[in-house]
Amino acid sequence: MLQIDIREENGHVILVLTGEVDASNSVDLDNAIQGLIQPKKKIIMDGSALEYISSAGLGVFMSYLEEFETNEIQFVIIGLNSKVFNVFHILGLDQLITIKTNKEEALQELYEA
Amino acid sequence: MFKIFHLNIGKITLLVAILTWLSLLFVNLTRLFGAMNQMDAGVSEEFTWILQIIFFIMVYLFYNHHINRNGDPGFLNNIWKGTSTGLFAVGIALITEFFYYLLGNSRLSDDPLLRNFFYHLNFGFTTVFLISISLIWRYLILYQKDKNVVQQWQAFEVILLISMFFVFFNQDSFNYSFLFGLFLILIFGIILSVNLKWIPYLTFKEKWKSILYLSIIILSTGYLFFIIVRYSEHNRLPIELTDNIFILGLFGFVFIYALFSFLVTLFNLPTSSVFEQKLTEAINFQRLSQSIQPGQSESQVLDILMDSCMSAAYVDAAWLELHPETDAPHIIHQRFIQDEERIELEQFLKENRPFKDFLDRNNGKSFEYISGKINHINYKSALIVPIKINKTVLGYIYLVKEVKDGFNKEMINIIATFVGQASISVENHKLLNEAIKNERYKEELKIAQRVQRSLLPAHLHSNDHFEIAGISEAADEVGGDYYETYQYTADQFAIIIGDVSGKGTSAAFNMAQMKGVFHSLVQLELSPSEFLTKANGALSNCLEKNHFITTTYYLLDTSARSIKFSRAGHCPTLYHCAKTNTSRYLKTEGLGLGILRNSQYEKFVNENYLEYSAGDIMVMYTDGIVEAKNRENKEFGYENLLNVLQTNPDLCPNEIVNKIISSVYEFIGQTTMPDDDYSILVIKFLK
Repeated sequence: MLQIDIREENGHVILVLTGEVDASNSVDLDNAIQGLIQPKKKIIMDGSALEYISSAGLGVFMSYLEEFETNEIQFVIIGLNSKVFNVFHILGLDQLITIKTNKEEALQELYEA
Repeated sequence: MFKIFHLNIGKITLLVAILTWLSLLFVNLTRLFGAMNQMDAGVSEEFTWILQIIFFIMVYLFYNHHINRNGDPGFLNNIWKGTSTGLFAVGIALITEFFYYLLGNSRLSDDPLLRNFFYHLNFGFTTVFLISISLIWRYLILYQKDKNVVQQWQAFEVILLISMFFVFFNQDSFNYSFLFGLFLILIFGIILSVNLKWIPYLTFKEKWKSILYLSIIILSTGYLFFIIVRYSEHNRLPIELTDNIFILGLFGFVFIYALFSFLVTLFNLPTSSVFEQKLTEAINFQRLSQSIQPGQSESQVLDILMDSCMSAAYVDAAWLELHPETDAPHIIHQRFIQDEERIELEQFLKENRPFKDFLDRNNGKSFEYISGKINHINYKSALIVPIKINKTVLGYIYLVKEVKDGFNKEMINIIATFVGQASISVENHKLLNEAIKNERYKEELKIAQRVQRSLLPAHLHSNDHFEIAGISEAADEVGGDYYETYQYTADQFAIIIGDVSGKGTSAAFNMAQMKGVFHSLVQLELSPSEFLTKANGALSNCLEKNHFITTTYYLLDTSARSIKFSRAGHCPTLYHCAKTNTSRYLKTEGLGLGILRNSQYEKFVNENYLEYSAGDIMVMYTDGIVEAKNRENKEFGYENLLNVLQTNPDLCPNEIVNKIISSVYEFIGQTTMPDDDYSILVIKFLK
């Protein structure tokens, strides 16, 4: 089960994922991210309630890396538990996507860098 | 042999019957001749009776054999056979009459010998007629027989057999015992004559025919009886052949059954169309449920459905409109109506109540049927029935009649049943086709599985410095895990393990690509980091946008006791050091193949070097092992895997593989299967 909530805050969008991302619902995640693609957008993905992510879910993030770059979109993931973070880390995605522990750090990254 | 024997029975009985009749004639004429010349011919009466009984039995056997041999010719053919025999016997009698008419008052007409000859002739043919008809009646009486009827008939036959011998005990005709016997036969005949189950199965036309045949039989019976009685009154008979309880009993039985059949058939005439209709409906119903064979179209069922509905309600015109939800409904099975008139009529129905409301697309699904009168020039009532399959409307059946209120409740009920049955048939047909298709897919997957199995190495290279063992299991028929070894020289080896993102068929295809990339690049003797960079470049052009492959590539040199390796996003290698007796994961940075599809990739690849010593163990695996979940949704995890190795460093590689798998199964519970592919490759260094 995956629940996706999107809410706008001043200047950035927060994408909250709750549950598990697997092959069956990675399309929903894909659609959600696709809908947020706008040049120079700031996106925070809150994964604090994310319990599991499969390779299909990782594939979704991976497939947007280039698009984020060309559209100058800033994408930050926050709040991952150690297990989910490890999945990102082993694949090496943490080297390509900014992953922060909490929202404050993320905002700092987005607005001060 | 058997067949020849059977053929002979017919001929033998016929021959014996004819011979018996001739001897009967000869014996009786001799006696008459003796009586005329006041001489005793010395032939007793018993002799005549015995010949007569033999004649009866032979005729019975002949016809019995004849009927049994010819199978079931049907009711009408059988009755016709009896009728023709009757006509023949009557013909013989008439010719005799005519002959005597020609003779006029000549001397010959008074000749007792000649008259006796004709008497015997008429007796013979009357017997043949009576016995053959009785056997036909038997066939009709025993139609749809039950035990009781069969017993009654057998008793009747026994009584008839006994009656043949009655003459030995009682030569006095029409005394009490004679009348009692005759009465018994007639009562039995009447009881048997209520068995008329064959009549309803005749069609209207066949009933008329059978009425004609039966009336001929009745007339023939009457006439032959009249002839026989007239002969009996003639006093010059040397011996009475026809004042026989058997003959008279048969006369009664044949006449009674013919009369009953005649009357019942006559009174059944008006209702026969109803019976025919019901029979057609039953047959149609059966055809509907049986008609579709695999591979045939549903159109055939709909064709039968239309015929069934039309005949059930005596419809004047009908058509079937398929898929009315779409803008271009498809008309099939149009009956007794032209396109032009149909379109006009359809428009008419759409504009008038009650049809208007239902044919409105929005609520058209809800109704079972609509019937009502219409104010059309040619047609006065209409019925529309939707054909529904799985709650979706396949089409509408339009039935129209030229009379007002043409559809009664019974008709609508039977049509609804037909439609229901047809829907089931069509649905079954669809399900069957799907099942066949699925079966084919399964076969294809089995082939894919076989092909993919062959992609995994049957043999892993090694030398006397190390032992190696591996296993790979797919969650579905095919999987995305991959490992392989390559030997450069006696001491140098390349080893790869990989995991394609996703699982199932798409993963299997990407795994095949990975194998191709490995075999191409391994030839170039690249360093692990170069190998991964080139592999990333190659796969970037092949993989779909959101697919990636994780892998670790090892170069093993047993002469230098060294391992060089690079990790591309794959699960970290588990390593056991024999000297310190500790297990650990070899941590190193690295990015999965296909994630970064440009020259930036090489920045993310590290190359590592380590030297091993004897007893060290290297465990390579895919994420299916560490991510295997138990019922509480907890993963097996890196900690557990490490513990398995830490506690079993003395096992050989094969045993370690099995130990890891059994530990994983123990963790997740024996019954649950892993929902991901998993692979393990274990190397143990010996020296």
